[in-house]
Amino acid sequence: MFLQQLINGITLGCVYALIALGYTMVYGILQLINFAHGEIYMLGAYLGVIGLALLQAIHFAPSSPLVLVLTLALFAALIAALWGITIERLAYRPLRGAGRLAPLIAALGISIVLQNFVMHSQGAREKIFPALWAGSGYIFGNTRVSAVQLLIIITSAVMMVGLTLLVQKTRIGTAMRATAQDRVMAQLCGIDANMIIAITFAIGSALAGIAGVLIAAYYGMINFYIGYQAGLKAFAAAVLGGIGTIPGAMLGGLLLGLVEAFGAGYLSSQYKDVYAFLILILFLIFRPGGLLGEQLAEKV
Amino acid sequence: MTRPSLLRRKTGLGGTLGLPAMLLLALVGCSRQSDTIRIAVVSPMTGESAKMGEDISRAVQLAVEEWNQQGGVLGRRIILSIEDDRADPKDAVSAASKVVAQGAVGVIGHYNSSCTIPASNIYHEAGIPMITPASTNPMVTDRGYSSVFRTCGRDDQQGRVEADFACQALNAQRIAILHDKTTYGQGLAGEFRKNLTSTAEVVFAEGVTRGDKDFSAVLTSLKAASPDLVMFGGLYGEGGLIIRQMRDLGVAAAFLSGDGVYDPEFLRIAGSAAEGAYLSYAPSAEGIPAARKFLESYLKRWPEVGPYSLFAYDATNILLKGIELAGTTDGRKVAATIHTNSFPAAFGTVAFDAKGDPVVAPYVMWIVRDGKLVPLDGLPKPVHVETH
Repeated sequence: MFLQQLINGITLGCVYALIALGYTMVYGILQLINFAHGEIYMLGAYLGVIGLALLQAIHFAPSSPLVLVLTLALFAALIAALWGITIERLAYRPLRGAGRLAPLIAALGISIVLQNFVMHSQGAREKIFPALWAGSGYIFGNTRVSAVQLLIIITSAVMMVGLTLLVQKTRIGTAMRATAQDRVMAQLCGIDANMIIAITFAIGSALAGIAGVLIAAYYGMINFYIGYQAGLKAFAAAVLGGIGTIPGAMLGGLLLGLVEAFGAGYLSSQYKDVYAFLILILFLIFRPGGLLGEQLAEKV
Repeated sequence: MTRPSLLRRKTGLGGTLGLPAMLLLALVGCSRQSDTIRIAVVSPMTGESAKMGEDISRAVQLAVEEWNQQGGVLGRRIILSIEDDRADPKDAVSAASKVVAQGAVGVIGHYNSSCTIPASNIYHEAGIPMITPASTNPMVTDRGYSSVFRTCGRDDQQGRVEADFACQALNAQRIAILHDKTTYGQGLAGEFRKNLTSTAEVVFAEGVTRGDKDFSAVLTSLKAASPDLVMFGGLYGEGGLIIRQMRDLGVAAAFLSGDGVYDPEFLRIAGSAAEGAYLSYAPSAEGIPAARKFLESYLKRWPEVGPYSLFAYDATNILLKGIELAGTTDGRKVAATIHTNSFPAAFGTVAFDAKGDPVVAPYVMWIVRDGKLVPLDGLPKPVHVETH
């Protein structure tokens, strides 16, 4: 049972981590908590279902479910990135100089708009994602790892390594780090800060879009409401790890997934969400910077 | 009293919109007073249960249109307000106040018991009859409000049917109970547990969160308790995911749930994992002409009939028939008329007891076979569920 809960927790944690990355990157650069980010993840899940319908319409039948899901993930990542850029351009950039409260409220507004947009355009009913690997998985003794769980863990790991390399080793990554440190100074050095911010939104949104497709494949059911809770959890994960730091978001996501799985498994599943937020509160009291964050006295 | 001031404000608006708008407003103002009558349907139109609200409001809309085609009620055209309670008790109360202020003479709703109970206080005070098509919690009618009715059954009835089925037909020995912590889910699970015979042992009982998608952790613990039957009190979304994730984890136990899970969506979410699941629900409405006519015209406009669509259709017809029989829109007289008459409905003839519950609340067991919900006839035989 321990091993099974460990796998349950890691799977969940990987998804939280993918979404948390978007929160933390945007916060790192703009000090903005992008509450619309959870809805981008929800859009990603819908894009998975829409992409599937499109593929069927053009009679594209991939050789394996793996190719299919990766194609859908790519599609969702691209469109979600466009959404991210658009939202940034329309809702956040005009408020760039307006302090911190206005963009925060704009983010909440965008989140409500996106939720209702999807509800009205796609309907209030659940969307079903077909079970691609019905029953297939790997069994070790009493423990089962399903193919989708494995896919989620591997895809997330690849994405996180890729992102770390991008931020640490490339010119764009350097520019992103410079913008995060001091936007004005970076601009004086010739960095187009607006472009870098747009790229940050695009990357964060693409990761959330991929997470959405993975979750659609994992649970087989999505609705317009999934972004709210997942967004809140991922936000908690980002704060837990130290908001603004990329490794922190990954660690926070994993930690949260494990806490939820073990809490629900060994204590009581009735309070599954309570464990996550209890940990968040404890961290805010005793280590407000998060696990890997700097010890700054800053309000989140 | 408020009408003149309202009109004045609207005239000001009319000035900017021009004469036609003014005339139109004047017309609306006239017709509201004399030859129309307003009823309301309040259900979750947005939020997590929006799909149920859609099912219910569409059915009510259809019934109202049918009445209007036949000349309305008491010779007056029926106007329907569709209000949203977002499945939230607070919003339910404000929607109820709004409906009362609009002058509705009857209400169909709400969907969730947790919304129906506080909202019915307001309808009761205003003397407006309310018929819920879907709230099964005993508290809805146990408070003795004379103007509160329901067309569906009660959790205690349903819980007993399920417990009898589990103990007698399935001969379940080790039972796991899950519920979604809502008034409905927890209530149904509680009634089920209360009615279990001594041969059955509850080996696992847990609450899960409504709206959650990941039940693998709780199901892993459930698996360790090795039950032979899993009973779930809750709705189709969670129910579908639970049975699917249960089978993925290799839990072979039979699955039993109630009317909240009885929905085409359950079959789609669970896919092949739904095979062999038992659900308690109303008897099949096929073969009743009123139901057949309803199903035909509903499906002509919308893709699918929900589990409460028929109950909502019945509730609307009963309310309007009650108004017609009473010959007045006075809520207290209408309620008294509904109490003393019986009504032909899609689920057979409906009459209400002193509390406002249907006298006959027939629950029967259904099973999923070959991806379809089929009624189990007579005393059901236990079906062995295989893991896949």
